[in-house]
Amino acid sequence: MSKRPPITNRVKELREANGGLSQAALGEAVGVTRQTIIAIEQGRYSPSLETSFRIARLFGVGLEDVFGWEGD
Amino acid sequence: MSFREKSTWVMTAVMLLSGLFYMMSALPYPGSPVMETVVPYVLLVIVLSVAGQVVLAIRSPDEARAPLDERERLVVDRAGYWGGVILAAAIVLAGIAYVVAPNGNMLFHHAVLALIVAQIAQYIMQIALLRRAL
Repeated sequence: MSKRPPITNRVKELREANGGLSQAALGEAVGVTRQTIIAIEQGRYSPSLETSFRIARLFGVGLEDVFGWEGD
Repeated sequence: MSFREKSTWVMTAVMLLSGLFYMMSALPYPGSPVMETVVPYVLLVIVLSVAGQVVLAIRSPDEARAPLDERERLVVDRAGYWGGVILAAAIVLAGIAYVVAPNGNMLFHHAVLALIVAQIAQYIMQIALLRRAL
């Protein structure tokens, strides 16, 4: 439970690249709370496949442009 | 702090305060009729919970209306599971206490205390999981 998931992400980077979209605005757009976006960005929580797709589609990129496997 | 965490803190405080009230009412007379202790306790829990949640909802109406998100649902499920385990263990202990000292009123008090302890443990676990992500 406390083990960090081996999934990396570029959510913060993409957020900043898209006009500095706030965590709250991103959360609202994809249907999660600001705290969940924070947890995703810090690598403490792996979002569901549905939320991952929503995030990727919001930024207009592919899933693998947002999420990756640690070490890859 | 998220709305869910604030709400859970409020419920933890309600359960602690009301649990203390219950213990102070029941401990001096452990074998006495249960209704005199339980009815005021239930009323206290209802009043404090509703008041606490209403205040929170007035302060953050949008967050209060929002449903649980996927992470919060997982947190609630996981904390609920462990709350159930603690409740089961506490009820078994209450049953053992009944075998040692067969008093139906005391068994009832022990069962209510088991519920209170399990609920507090569940809320504390929810707060911990919400803070740690999961």
